[in-house]
Amino acid sequence: MNPEGWAKMHGATVHFPIALILCSGALDALGSFLPAPATRRGLHAAGYWTMILGAAGTVPAVVSGLVMSRGVMLGHDTLRLHHLFAWPAFALIVGLAAWRSLASDFTAGKAPAGYLAVAGVAALLVMAAGYYGGEMMLGH
Amino acid sequence: MENPAAPPAPPGAGPRIPLAALAAALALACAYGLSLGLRRAASRGSHQQPTPEAWFETSAPSSPALVAQGRALFLSSCAHCHGADARGDEGPDLHRVEVSDRYIANTITHGIKHEMPSFKRKLGAEDIARLTAYVRSLD
Repeated sequence: MNPEGWAKMHGATVHFPIALILCSGALDALGSFLPAPATRRGLHAAGYWTMILGAAGTVPAVVSGLVMSRGVMLGHDTLRLHHLFAWPAFALIVGLAAWRSLASDFTAGKAPAGYLAVAGVAALLVMAAGYYGGEMMLGH
Repeated sequence: MENPAAPPAPPGAGPRIPLAALAAALALACAYGLSLGLRRAASRGSHQQPTPEAWFETSAPSSPALVAQGRALFLSSCAHCHGADARGDEGPDLHRVEVSDRYIANTITHGIKHEMPSFKRKLGAEDIARLTAYVRSLD
């Protein structure tokens, strides 16, 4: 596949993890503050699966991005800005998924404040990386 | 031996955070490994020398005079492929290239196999710096 094909593949794969990660943080945060235990359990279960699926979705997004840029991890100008947000976001998402896999008992109560804080930072990084990704695609 | 009367650990406690950090570091290491492999494969294909990237790599200092000198060199050496306005002809459009200054200089110096000739013998380091400044100025 040529670089243009990989660029299309990157665009096709990257939006799933963006949506899932943002939803996961929001669902867990909501589940920590609502009083009804059944609703809370449901929201935490949804937060768990969206985080796991979102983290799994980062793999094709990262691979297609690296192949389309022929292995450039940083690059220059807008690409560099995109990467300076995307790589920390990728690391945090994988870390959050691992944390969540080891602590699936969030359903029993509130999500730890530390987890929610890290998920919030990851969401901000994902949004910033997405912003500069959009700049590269549409800003020319 | 585990005490059956002990209360269960609260969510998020224990070795979870170090393990999560380890998973994150492993994921980044895998991405870096893939990046290295892809860059080596790309450099073999285009006989370019691999150029290690540095975090927060800055652009080389430029000036209007340097850009003007680069433009003159561009018209004499590059415009027949890239077009007089660098919008592309036989060669690609050079506006807003998303690569480092070193990558631009490296491409001019070594060329791209089957696509672009090497200018190593025709242009010196100063000329390549001028051309790089010109290409960088194309927005």
